[in-house]
Amino acid sequence: MIARERLNQLRKRFDSAIVRADLPSDRQLFVWVRPAAVKEMCRHIFRDLDARYVVSIGADDRPYSGGFVVAHDFAFDQDQVLCSVLTQLPETEPKIDSISDVVPAANWAEREMRDLVGIESVGHPYPKRLVLPDGWPEDVHPLRKDVPWNHVPAEFKEGATFEFEDPPEGCTVVPFGPFHPTLDEPAHFRLYVEGEMVRGCEYRGFMAHRGIEKLAESVMSYNDIPVLAERICGICGCVHSVAYTQAVEAAAALRPPPRAEYIRTIMLELERLHSHLLWTGLACHIVGFDTLFMQAFRIREPVMWVAEKITGNRKTYGLCVVGGVRWEITPELKSELGQVLDRLDAEWGPVVGAISRDKNIQKRTQGVGIANKEVVKNAGAVGPVARAAGVDIDCRRDHPYAAYDRVDFEVITAGGCDVWSRLEVRMREVFESTAIIRQCLEKMEPGPLQLEIKDELPVGRIGLSSVEAPRGESHHFVITGENNRPRRWRVRAPTYQNLQAVPAMIRDQQIADMTISLGSIDPCFSCTDRMETIELRSGGKKTWSQRELLALSRGRK
Amino acid sequence: MPMGWAIMGAVANVAMVLLVSPLLQGIGRKLTARIQSRQGPPVLQPYFDLLKLLGKEDIESGETPVMQRFAALLSLTTVLAVSCLVPMGFGSPMNSAGDVIMLIYLLTLCGASTLLAGMAAGSTYSLIGVSREMMTMITLEPLLAVAILVGAVHVHSLRLEAVLSGSVYGNAGFPWSGLVMLAVMLLSLQAFVQRVPFDIAGAETELMEGPLMEYSGPKLALCQYAQMARLVIYSSLFSALFLPWGSQLTFPGEWLLFWIKVFVLVLLVTVIAATHARYRIDQALRYFAGLLGVSFVALVLATFGY
Repeated sequence: MIARERLNQLRKRFDSAIVRADLPSDRQLFVWVRPAAVKEMCRHIFRDLDARYVVSIGADDRPYSGGFVVAHDFAFDQDQVLCSVLTQLPETEPKIDSISDVVPAANWAEREMRDLVGIESVGHPYPKRLVLPDGWPEDVHPLRKDVPWNHVPAEFKEGATFEFEDPPEGCTVVPFGPFHPTLDEPAHFRLYVEGEMVRGCEYRGFMAHRGIEKLAESVMSYNDIPVLAERICGICGCVHSVAYTQAVEAAAALRPPPRAEYIRTIMLELERLHSHLLWTGLACHIVGFDTLFMQAFRIREPVMWVAEKITGNRKTYGLCVVGGVRWEITPELKSELGQVLDRLDAEWGPVVGAISRDKNIQKRTQGVGIANKEVVKNAGAVGPVARAAGVDIDCRRDHPYAAYDRVDFEVITAGGCDVWSRLEVRMREVFESTAIIRQCLEKMEPGPLQLEIKDELPVGRIGLSSVEAPRGESHHFVITGENNRPRRWRVRAPTYQNLQAVPAMIRDQQIADMTISLGSIDPCFSCTDRMETIELRSGGKKTWSQRELLALSRGRK
Repeated sequence: MPMGWAIMGAVANVAMVLLVSPLLQGIGRKLTARIQSRQGPPVLQPYFDLLKLLGKEDIESGETPVMQRFAALLSLTTVLAVSCLVPMGFGSPMNSAGDVIMLIYLLTLCGASTLLAGMAAGSTYSLIGVSREMMTMITLEPLLAVAILVGAVHVHSLRLEAVLSGSVYGNAGFPWSGLVMLAVMLLSLQAFVQRVPFDIAGAETELMEGPLMEYSGPKLALCQYAQMARLVIYSSLFSALFLPWGSQLTFPGEWLLFWIKVFVLVLLVTVIAATHARYRIDQALRYFAGLLGVSFVALVLATFGY
């Protein structure tokens, strides 16, 4: 079913509520509806039409249309359609019915909308602060256009703390994080533990805000942002840079030359390779099997070297510009890349074999961290977490971008719903990735790398882009704007949704399984804790203030 | 054995344990590194590590610093006390100072020092470590006790010298009980020396070293030293109980052979540690319980003279 047919389907039921509909292509659908109908339409799309929830976006549109804009994005994965339900809210009363009780996956996105843009979700089941630091004043919303990017609110309360819920009766509290050897980045889970069993948890994350979206919307230009986007994540940076560029290209109806699409595909797959190899190693490390950790990293290293040869960097590739790529794959690089892939295939096979035969690892991972289809649906989980639960989704096939429509590959799924299945999916995806790169190298024709863009990009258009990161779908939402920069850019990394499935995964499990369960979604907190204007620390019992800490760290040289 | 000899032997044992255990640790680390395709630290690195830690500022931390200090001292001293009782290349030096019951108590005390250390820290993670260590001890200590008892039953004596000389194999006939216990102890040696897959109480990636998490500087050095010595002690006990061959040799030969046996056991422990993932506490307990069941069968066999 293409976008038009989906629209007709919605029209039949909600004709009076639909204000306007845009169909820029067969694959993207924008439905503008009256605020009162948003909740029912989202419920219909999510439950009756069985679409996957992607993300909700709030935008301050007051300087342009005099109000606020709210968008709820959904994906019809079988139809290859991305759908956005949009509505306009008046300037005076930025309030809308919460959809979280019918679409549980929207929980975080709606809280974030209130924190950052000040759009209230009425009837939200858990209306606690999500993104902003605890001491941040209630009425300052950093992503509003009248708040400058470098604003430091004078009313910031230095000593404020987050108020956690009371633990259930009979449970003790085990703080997991913000610093823990298996967490490479700060996040805090307050575990309610009974003996060795975890009975529940509360999450407080968003401890490393960098204000990336605000920076992009107020300071940078279209072609600066890919480089900034890349720095969202230390592992799947290229994914964000491609997703952003594609969103802008979709909004402006541009299509990069074929060779550029192939090169994007190759770099994305190289990124998946090194990410999956890294993750397999880390998973082994978490369960105490350091030998496989070391071997995985040894096998991974040549991938980093070849990426450095192609782009000049091991990790931050600096690949994308709007309408193309910056790096060419020369014949020498092509043959070297081929050799790296051959060696990787040859070395990875034995590791996969060893892990598959290892009863010890299977004991630690089978039946652990269960996320079944229902959990996946309700949390909007994506990537290997979804595929390990038998949910057959993969943006590379379902929402083809770059050159993925021209290569053959299998979408690996498994049915165990547990950590072991996620391990299996990721290990086998490595072989698919090497096959995809080989096909690209073969099919790539010589040609230009960048599109010549003579005119300014149109203003006020919306673009969506979903890219399959190693951890799942990265979704970017862009509204184009004046001054050569977007008005609104919203990044939703896969971990943003996958993390919301973690409480269900660790409930009634041993505390020893907590780390591997959390590890199995391959959490990426830097992707998730995406935005804030400034970084301010707050915390309860600390005797050091932020100012003192800064003075301390800067004073000693 | 005259008093003088006993003291000299004890001093020699303690000195050897202190001297050799970091070296064996270093060799183990090198071997692990090789298995992992790494270069690995120099073999002498553990000595430098200990020296460095010993030279650091002694910081008081945790809930009860006094108990913390006491636990660190206790862990090393019990291990060293045990080394006075175990034969290491010559007969048990303090043979007349105690019997096998005392040996079992001392080994239990060694585990208890870990519990004290964890309770002194008082953090949630170290307390979880303590509860895991406690559960492990309860199921694990009987294994060793049964192994020693099987020997004692065979030789009708609780004297150290009599029991710690391959007594599990009995005097006559096919040594059924001895061989069963050999298998049981081989399968649980990893747990006694607290290495992967049974480093559950301190599991770095789960509990951040559990009971030891509040330790630093000289106190940490003592705990680590005890940990290294533990490997030597249990290997010695193991070879005294189960690998008695060569103990008839004269002094340098017997002594050399003993350290070769310990060395081989250390290599075995290292290889197993490098090729396994950590068990979860409930999986480990089920495993120990199974072994315990088997060991009781061995004890029954021994009482009937098999």
